[in-house]
Order: sequence, then structure tokens, then C-alpha cells
Amino acid sequence: MRATHILLGTFCLLGAATAAAFARQGTPPNAAQADSLRFVAHPEHIPPGFTSHDRPLALRNPFEGNANARKIGSQLYISYNCIDCHGADGSGAMGPSLADGRWHFGGTPGELFESIYQGRPDGMPAWGGRIANDQIWSLITYIQSLSAGKDVATENFTGRTVERTGH
Amino acid sequence: MIPCLMTPRLTLVAMGAMLTSVACSRGTETRGSADSAGVAKATGAPANVAGTRIGAPRTTAAGEWQMPAGDYASSRFSDLAQITPANAANLKASWTFSTGVLRGHEGQPLVVSNTMYLVTPYPNVSYAIDLTQAGQPLKWKFRPENAQAATGVACCDVVNRGAAYADGKIFYNLLDGHTVGVDAATGKQLWRTRMADLNRGETITMAPIVVKGKVLVGSSGGEMGVRGWLGAIDATTGKEVWRGYNTGSDRDVKVGPRFKPFYPQDTGKDLGLTSWPGETWKQGGAAVWGWLSYDPELNLVYYGTSNPGPWNEGVRKGDNKWSCAIMARDADTGELVWAIQITPHDMWDYDTVNENILVDLPLGGTTRKALVHFDRNGYGYTIDRATGEVLVAQPFVQMNWSTGVDMKTGRPQVVPEKMTQEGKLVKDICPSLEGGKNQQPAAFSPRTGLFYVPTNNLCMDFEVRPVSYIPGTPYIGANAPEKKGPGGHGGEFIAWDATTGKKVWGIEEPFPVWGGALATAGGVVFYGTLDGWFKAVDASSGKELWKFKVGSGVVGNPIAYLGPDGKQYIAVYSGIGGDMGLLIAGDVAANLPYDVRERGSTLPDLARWTSWGGMLFVFSL
Repeated sequence: MRATHILLGTFCLLGAATAAAFARQGTPPNAAQADSLRFVAHPEHIPPGFTSHDRPLALRNPFEGNANARKIGSQLYISYNCIDCHGADGSGAMGPSLADGRWHFGGTPGELFESIYQGRPDGMPAWGGRIANDQIWSLITYIQSLSAGKDVATENFTGRTVERTGH
Repeated sequence: MIPCLMTPRLTLVAMGAMLTSVACSRGTETRGSADSAGVAKATGAPANVAGTRIGAPRTTAAGEWQMPAGDYASSRFSDLAQITPANAANLKASWTFSTGVLRGHEGQPLVVSNTMYLVTPYPNVSYAIDLTQAGQPLKWKFRPENAQAATGVACCDVVNRGAAYADGKIFYNLLDGHTVGVDAATGKQLWRTRMADLNRGETITMAPIVVKGKVLVGSSGGEMGVRGWLGAIDATTGKEVWRGYNTGSDRDVKVGPRFKPFYPQDTGKDLGLTSWPGETWKQGGAAVWGWLSYDPELNLVYYGTSNPGPWNEGVRKGDNKWSCAIMARDADTGELVWAIQITPHDMWDYDTVNENILVDLPLGGTTRKALVHFDRNGYGYTIDRATGEVLVAQPFVQMNWSTGVDMKTGRPQVVPEKMTQEGKLVKDICPSLEGGKNQQPAAFSPRTGLFYVPTNNLCMDFEVRPVSYIPGTPYIGANAPEKKGPGGHGGEFIAWDATTGKKVWGIEEPFPVWGGALATAGGVVFYGTLDGWFKAVDASSGKELWKFKVGSGVVGNPIAYLGPDGKQYIAVYSGIGGDMGLLIAGDVAANLPYDVRERGSTLPDLARWTSWGGMLFVFSL
């Protein structure tokens, strides 16, 4: 059965102790256990003047730019049925387009990782813990290639179409 | 006290003496040729074509619209006759109402006791509109809880095909798999019953009907590896009364001693198991997302089932019963009384969910109780609705996957080159998986004896690929890009004679005709187009009488009703979407900054003519 997709950032990526880090910054109020909550960085959500006591993580794609990973990702995109929700070449189907450079939940590698790992409210399943993280990174390598060089801002009706949408 | 409205106007038309009929809302329609002749004599009103009648007599006032297709027979015929070919050019917009929602506005409103009821696409808000006051204020608005995840599980846009009214209540389905019963006067939810399981890929888009105190519903999910069923809910308590599955054992399918299919290949024990390898029947599709009909005399509910899952046929060798079938179940118990599998071992996603219009027709010198069904596979069927015998089966669109239906067995003869399988790219299959006709319902007029059918002219390539069943994700296993069919037009609105299996006239359209039809006693037929034209045409000749550009493409179905002022009104949703509007056109609502799609190549021009919207339009003379 499909795991719940309403996870809100409560996963632990690294087991490394962070007691030293906390000690450096001073103990925050309601300090959690040292090895529990680690969050992916979202600096764009931090209003000016907010300070964070946490040492957030910056997730990077270990396969960034790797053509082999992109190829594997393109195959996984089909095997895991991503193609049927997000369309061939990410053109969009019942799920949004992945090829337009526009993102509901952020398009950085870390944000894409979170979306695939945790799932999202409109029906995106949570794949984290069910498929290997390396496979998620391969998918992300492929997905990021889909919107490369695209500018969808202006729709000119003599212009480009995608060959296949939908089914 | 239901008023008896007389419109004794004499109007001459070029064809001869076509006179408007008496629209007398006593609750019984003109029945049989004897009554018609009597009415004709009294008022000069046109009679039904000899030997023709709508199979389930309307039990509600002619000026109202209480169930999705107007009546149990799914005729979408209105007895109202004020609008005629002579005056239709004078139609004008009377009032409008924004639904507050984007996405595909399939379905149709209801009108009961001078109140109009609407259901929107997800989140399936419902409105009750007071027709007696200028400005049409709301009586109530109901916003049900409706799981957000459903929007990512529904394959083909988050549409809703409408509500049904009975006994002071409105009943409709929520995308997330619940059925709700709502007090029609107050908008208060009376009950809410979970019928479908979102975690298994089931959603609900279909419109229920209410039969003898039971709300009948089915689910969507043929592309999600579901197992289809038809269920009955007690209208008062909201408790499920029975559920008949469409795959599995005889016990689950409710096959018992009464089951008498007409054809030998449909007889046998546990066919819902044995026509599948292993346990593939559990993900066998056969979902009930289309229209329901009911014959009160035979006490049979009729519906069609969806494609088998997955589209990759290699996974499921065998006939795959009862996918792509027309089923007839006893309305009280759900027992299966007869069934015919229209497209055994489907290889093209030719769902059989399209409506079954119950009509008595003159065939072979006698009147037969028939049902008429315009299938995805391109054949227009006339079938005996008591037994399931195929009486007529002829193509109503261009097709090349089959050379004909074998009348001895009811099975289509398949062209080997158009069979799909893994490792083979099959090109140019007509019709495409969207079918000769899809969810857009046809209408019937007993006055002309003709069916009015919105059709598609699309073909496809089909390439099967391996697929794994992962619960909650699609279970498809094929790519099927589409293009317009021969001739280059996207669709055609046709008039069809179901006694001969012939097209009588047709109106070519640039896009598939994805909205439903309405036929009226005044001799005018209405339909809307994807590019946003709402049209009135002459029921006999197909001549265009009037059209109006509505705000967004039409994928819904017009209704006719009598206003409190005694005038005839025509109401229709505008709001493009649905499978054609979303998936095939590749266009999306402009209010989603994170989903900016490039257009699909199948209908690249569509987005020039229409954008997304959500509005009810009402027209009158």
C-alpha cells in the first residue's frame, strides 16, 4: 500500500551527531535529540531577521551532469510509472509538467529530492525508503535535463508543440 | 399541482406542416402510436415515428430535469417545444453563473421545483440556484470535504458528470471516492459514504441514478489497475446495500441462476476468473465511470465497463471478462441478468462505458425493446435490451481495426495488422483510444426517430511497453500518440438511424465534439464544441440555426427546462477540460504558475480559440 504522502520534513538524512554544532551555536529552546531532526535548507523561506539555531543541510545531486545517470533516470521514469502521471518527456498529464522550468515545490536538486522522497499533497506518492536514494538522484538528473534551455513564457501559436501529451 | 402548459402555436416550416407539440407536464409522455395520433389530431402536433418510443417513460414533469440524462432511458429528449427551427435564430443569452472552479465542466445541471442544482469539478462544490428571482440568487452552497490527493489519482481531469435528485435529496459523487446525499432544500449533508478506495487508485467522476430508493454508483480507475464494480446505496441511510464486481468469481460478479447471456462464449462458470491468467483479474479494470440507464418494466440497470488493465495486452491473455462489456443487472439485488462483451481482449483502450439509450424501435417488421450504444470501438450498436442480442452493429465513424461484427457471435472481427502487442509499433489505428465517441452523451428524438451523436475523428499509433503494478500509480504499459483522422476534421456531430445503422446527416467540426447532445420536441437539437460554440441545429436536416460563443470550450451536456415564467430555457456549462481538453490538447489552467505546458501536437490550434473557465450559460428566446 502506498505510504502516506503527507510527511512534513521529518526525516533524518545523516546519522552524524550534531551535538558539537549545537554547542557552538548555543542550545536552542526546546532542543531536540541530537540525532533526530535534520532539515534540508530552504533559505528562501527564512524572513530577514529570523535566525536559525539549526544547521540545515544543503542537498546536492551526486550525479549532477552525469550522462549515464540521466540515461538510467530516463529508464526509471518509465519503470516507476512517472511517465503516466507526468507525461512523456515530462510534458505533463494528470500531474504537472516537469519540462517547463516551473516548480510547485521548488526545482533545486534538494527540493526535487524532497518532493520525490516525501510525496506531495495532490497525489504524488512518497518514494523515499521504497527506492534507493541513488535512483532518486538519477531521476532528478533526468528531470533536470527536460527543462534545459526551455522558455515557455510566451505562447506563440505558430510555434512549438510537444509531439505527445497524455496517454 | 403541476401546471399543464399549452403552447398552441402553429408554425409552418419549409419541409411541410411541422407543428409545435403540446408540452403538457402531466408527468406522462406521449406513449405509443395511438396516443401520439390522438395528440396529433387534437393539436396537429407531430407524432412519434411509428413504432418508436423512449423505452422508459418520463415520470417527472416535462419542464424539469431530475436526473443526469433527463430520464431513466438516457434519451436526453425534452418535450418542451417553444424553440423551433423557425425561431431559434432569436435565441439569446438570458443569464449566466460562474461556478468558481476551473477544470473540465462535464455533466449537466438539474432543475427541480424552480431550483437549479449544479455540481462543479473537484472539489465538487454544489449550488442550489433560485430561479424565481431576478439575478438567480443562491439558496445554498455545499462544500464537501474532499481529499486533495484525489486530484493526482484521477487520470483524465477532475471532472464530475452530475447529480441526481430524488425524494427531496440531491445525490452525487466526490472525486475522492465518496457518495454524498444532500438535503435539496437546505444543502445540509445527510450522509457521506466511502464507496471507492483512493489508495487503490479509485476515484469517482460518474453521475449516479436513483432507482427504487437506491443510489447506484461506480468508480473510475481503469488506468490505475483497479477492479471495477457497480454499487447500490440506500438513499435514506447511506448504507451500501449491494455491490456487483465486474471481474472475479460468479459470487463476486453476482452471477446466479438468472444469468442468461445471449451468446455461447459468454456462458460458463466463473468467467470473470477464467478469462484472465492467474490473479490478473484483481487489477482487471472494468470500471464503471460512465452513464447508467434503467428500464422499470424489466427492472434492469444497464451500464458499460471500462477497458481491462493494463493496456499492455500481453499481461492478460484471454477474453478478460467482464471488461469492455454491456451489463444488465437486477435493480433490487444487483444480480447479473445478461451481459455481452463488446470488445473481448481489448488492445486499444476501447472502454464500453458509453451510455445505453433505451428505445423501442421498429426492426424487422416488429417493435423491439432495444438499447442503442455508440461504442469507443467505432460501432453503433442496436441491442435487444431484454436479452442482449445484437440487432444492428455498424461503424458510425471511420475505422480500420475491425472489418465487422459477426452477427452470430456479437464479436468484432479484428484486423491482424491492427492488433497491438509488445515489440510492435502499430501505426494509424482508427478510431484512436478516445474512440468514435467518448463520455459525451448522445440524445434521441422519438419525433424524428434519430439519434444525435457527438463524435471524434481521431486515429493513433500504439506501442506497448513493459509495466509493473505499483499501487497508487498508473498501470498502463503503452504509449498512444493521437492525430486527427482522414479528412482532417477533429470530429463530427451526426444524426444516426439505429434501425439501419446509417448516418443520416453530419456536421464536421474542427475539433472532436466532446460535449453532449440535447434533443427537443420543437425539432431543435443542441450541442457545444471544444472551441466554445454552443449551437442549435435542425433535428431533421442538420442545418445550423444559431450559435453563440461561450466563455470556454464545452465538454458538458445541455438541458432544457421551463422557467417560472413559463418560458423554455436551455442551460449548458462552459469550461474546457476532461481528457481531451487536458491530456490531449496539453493545455492547462492559466492560474497554475507551476504548470505551464507546451501544447500537444494533436490539437495545436485549440488553445487559440479557448482557455480554461467555469460558467453556466442559460439561453432563451
